[in-house]
Amino acid sequence: MNLSFLNPWLWLGVLALAAPVWLHLRRKPPANLLRFSALRFLDDQPVPRQSPLQLRERLLFLLRAAALLLIVAAFTWPFLRDEAALLIRESRVYLLDNTLSHQSGEGFVRDRDRIAREIAGAGREVQVAVIELTSQPRVIASFGDDREVVVRKLRELKPSFQRGSLLTAFQQANSLLMNSLGDRKRIVLCSDNQENQWTENASVPPFLHNVEVTLPAIAATQAPNLSLAEPRAQRIFLGDKSVVNFAVQLNHQGPAKTANVTLRANGQTIVSRAVELPPAAGSVPLQAQWEADPALWLRGEVSVEGDPDALPGDNRVFFSLPPVREGKVALLARSPYLRLALSPEVMRGQWAARSLDPARVAAELAAGRDADVLCIESNYLQSADARKLVQRYISNGRGVLLLVDRITPLVGGALRELGFEPEPPAPSGAKAAAERIEFVFPNHPIFHPFVASDFGNLAEVKILRHVRLRCPSAMPLMFSQSGDAVFFQTTKGPGRLFVAAFGFEREQTDWPLHPTFIPFLDLCLQSARAEDDMPSSFEPGEMCALHVAADPPVREVALRDERGEVVRTPVVGRRAQFRVPDLPGLYALCYDSGHEPEKMLSVNPSPKESQLVYVESPDALKNWQFRGAQPASPATRTVPARGLSLSGIWQQRLWWWMLVAGLMALMAEQVWLVLRKERA
Amino acid sequence: MIATSQSLADRFDPKALAALEGLDFKARYVMEGFLSGQHESPFHGFSVEFSEYRDYQPGDDLKHLDWRLYARSDRLCIKRYTLETNVRFYVLCDTSASMAYRGGGAWGSKLDCARILAAALTWFLLKQNDAAGLLAPGGADGVPHFIRPSQKPSQFGMMLRHLEQLQPAGGACLSGLLAEGARLIHRRSVVLLFSDLIEPAEEVEMGFKQLRFHGHEVIVFQVLDRDEIEFPFTSPLLFEDLETGVRRQVSPSAAREKYLARFHAFMESHRQLFRSLEVPHCVVRTDEDPWHALAMFLAERRRLK
Repeated sequence: MNLSFLNPWLWLGVLALAAPVWLHLRRKPPANLLRFSALRFLDDQPVPRQSPLQLRERLLFLLRAAALLLIVAAFTWPFLRDEAALLIRESRVYLLDNTLSHQSGEGFVRDRDRIAREIAGAGREVQVAVIELTSQPRVIASFGDDREVVVRKLRELKPSFQRGSLLTAFQQANSLLMNSLGDRKRIVLCSDNQENQWTENASVPPFLHNVEVTLPAIAATQAPNLSLAEPRAQRIFLGDKSVVNFAVQLNHQGPAKTANVTLRANGQTIVSRAVELPPAAGSVPLQAQWEADPALWLRGEVSVEGDPDALPGDNRVFFSLPPVREGKVALLARSPYLRLALSPEVMRGQWAARSLDPARVAAELAAGRDADVLCIESNYLQSADARKLVQRYISNGRGVLLLVDRITPLVGGALRELGFEPEPPAPSGAKAAAERIEFVFPNHPIFHPFVASDFGNLAEVKILRHVRLRCPSAMPLMFSQSGDAVFFQTTKGPGRLFVAAFGFEREQTDWPLHPTFIPFLDLCLQSARAEDDMPSSFEPGEMCALHVAADPPVREVALRDERGEVVRTPVVGRRAQFRVPDLPGLYALCYDSGHEPEKMLSVNPSPKESQLVYVESPDALKNWQFRGAQPASPATRTVPARGLSLSGIWQQRLWWWMLVAGLMALMAEQVWLVLRKERA
Repeated sequence: MIATSQSLADRFDPKALAALEGLDFKARYVMEGFLSGQHESPFHGFSVEFSEYRDYQPGDDLKHLDWRLYARSDRLCIKRYTLETNVRFYVLCDTSASMAYRGGGAWGSKLDCARILAAALTWFLLKQNDAAGLLAPGGADGVPHFIRPSQKPSQFGMMLRHLEQLQPAGGACLSGLLAEGARLIHRRSVVLLFSDLIEPAEEVEMGFKQLRFHGHEVIVFQVLDRDEIEFPFTSPLLFEDLETGVRRQVSPSAAREKYLARFHAFMESHRQLFRSLEVPHCVVRTDEDPWHALAMFLAERRRLK
């Protein structure tokens, strides 16, 4: 307990010291007292007896001095008390880990019941608080709460699927302990000691001062587990067919050799088969395609079963896909392949292409009828109106697919405006040889379906001639055999710009004849199209901020699952904020009282919770504790007051000086009283 | 005059006096109320009087020429006048703590009564072109309130300010005040003393003798409360002296007789003293109208003239 002049207790103490002095100085006049002017004619009348009054005042003085001592002792008790006389010996905060990983081996239920037992059996010299570690750690019970209520609250806690931060929970516990009365301050962590929970905040500066931390005992350093993570679904159009491409990661750890994976979508089982697992722990990518009606919502889930599996809670993941909304493409290109690929015969229901007349770009610019995506060849960038059109699409949050088929000074300048620097061709001087696509960025939504060869092999695509471009701010997504980046994505403005270093002409590439061309073009246009910024995948208990369009006006948003409405929250200033449900699953986001889903939210556990690797002595905890404040065992712990010398006590705190000053004030009052009576 | 003041008693309303703010108004209320009951104006007979003639000198104001004399004797003479001899009055006010006493039936404390009387007399004296001054014990700084007598119109305001500043405090101060008066008052003057005279008689007697020895006329206004004169208490009380703080447990029924005897002896001794010194003595009660004191003063003033 550090005291200073800014501490309100100090000023309260000053008032408490002044009170007895004031009481002692206060004189009540007798009720029958008459202040008279001619008392000299009554000088033979008896003088009132003073002795009893004197005795009473001395007793009063003793009482007030004793009161003063008690007050000062009350303020100084943390330093003078005896070990045996302590009222509160220990302040203890239980941190109950209620994250998904702690469900492993019924760990949460076991720890919850253990805390309830310990609280019920703890003596009155121990004050107890409980913090539940979830996505937002919360105080279940404070130090002053009734213990029966605390135990009842604990029994009502259910295991959650959330992920929480140990650091936040420790900081919350530390703030509780800072205001506690116990001499021994202790945090009891009831957790599985998951390693990634400790390592993600290992570099935090120390904040635990004189706080003892009791860690759980670890039976094993890891537990077997099968889990699914990162579900990803996309619609791909192959001719008249609408195919859903789905990928998911199967993570395994432990001795399991096979796992049964079941994929369901819109109530039908798509796949159900056993997957062979490699002996080493790791991740197995799984992929599937099936036809689906593009006009309907796609709701699906994947589950895995295997043995041994310590954590069944992460064995299911959910995903969804919205119905296809036909996009609009403005086409300013001469390539017949591109025109054909975007024709209604090929892209019916997906993309409606509108060819722009190169001579009427100015009219298009003035009309302001922007499509979702502008597909343009660099040759047209020689027109100032075309350059303005590209800039407007980007600044308005639309998409642009730019095919750089030739470089002229004007085109070079336009590319520089977009952040691209054309480079001279290779110094060989000879006719450039055909190159194949050597590498694509596999995690990008455009190229992710091509990781498996079901939609064709991109490595077979030849690039006969390309322009060498360099852009430090753009992300290269595709490289040729010579190492040149030939496809870029940049987000210079609100819109998305994809730049290909070649045109879709026969003399530049054979890609338009390759089966991957139509899917690639569709995925590229989908990726370029402006989408809703709000993510559709959340973790349990995560906060979701939703921006609602102004038209039509929306008063409330609601989350529903198959059982009914789960969350309803008002829309304030076109913004709604709510906490995503704790239970994994698919939730339909509806406006007001409508039941038609505006969006589907898939709630899946954090993949980190599936990493059941434990640590016995985390390094992060050593960093969080101040050096020299190592937890001491009760047997070796010393009570500070016992070891103090007399001089140490005198130098200890201001309160001692206040005690001396108070006594001197009372003595001065007595002397003054005596002198006054003698003078009278 | 006593009969006149008694008939005027109905005109004095202690509540009206207490309701007035400021000593100035209180003094005028007392004095004008008193004067309005007089049949003969006390302001008559105070005009300037002829002294002598002297020959006209060039430059003299022609309005002072006695034209009748010129008609009779054909001489140009200037008429000279002598102002009526003015009297110098000093107001001495006792401010000991006993002057703070105010009984149940009084309209003010003894000091209040003394202040109002002093202010009223000052206003009256200045109206008649007399000079009035003040001497009173000092406040916390110990410097006495001393104002030299003057006839200036601003004198009344100055006197009022000092009178309002007087606060009852401390022990017996009358003997010191008289000694101070004997030291500071040089020319023959009339000393108006306002006090309850409740002090050891020997020292006070010496003070009065000193003043008389220096040729000053002294008029004593002894301000007393009804409680001091009649001692009307009945139930046992704890008395505390206002000046010394000494407390006495008194049963009034048993002590009244002895008190009154000693008080009358005290009053008698002072009367004898004042008779021997030819000092007019007037008892002013704080529960009665103060006009009989003013009437006594007017009578004494005529005698002095």
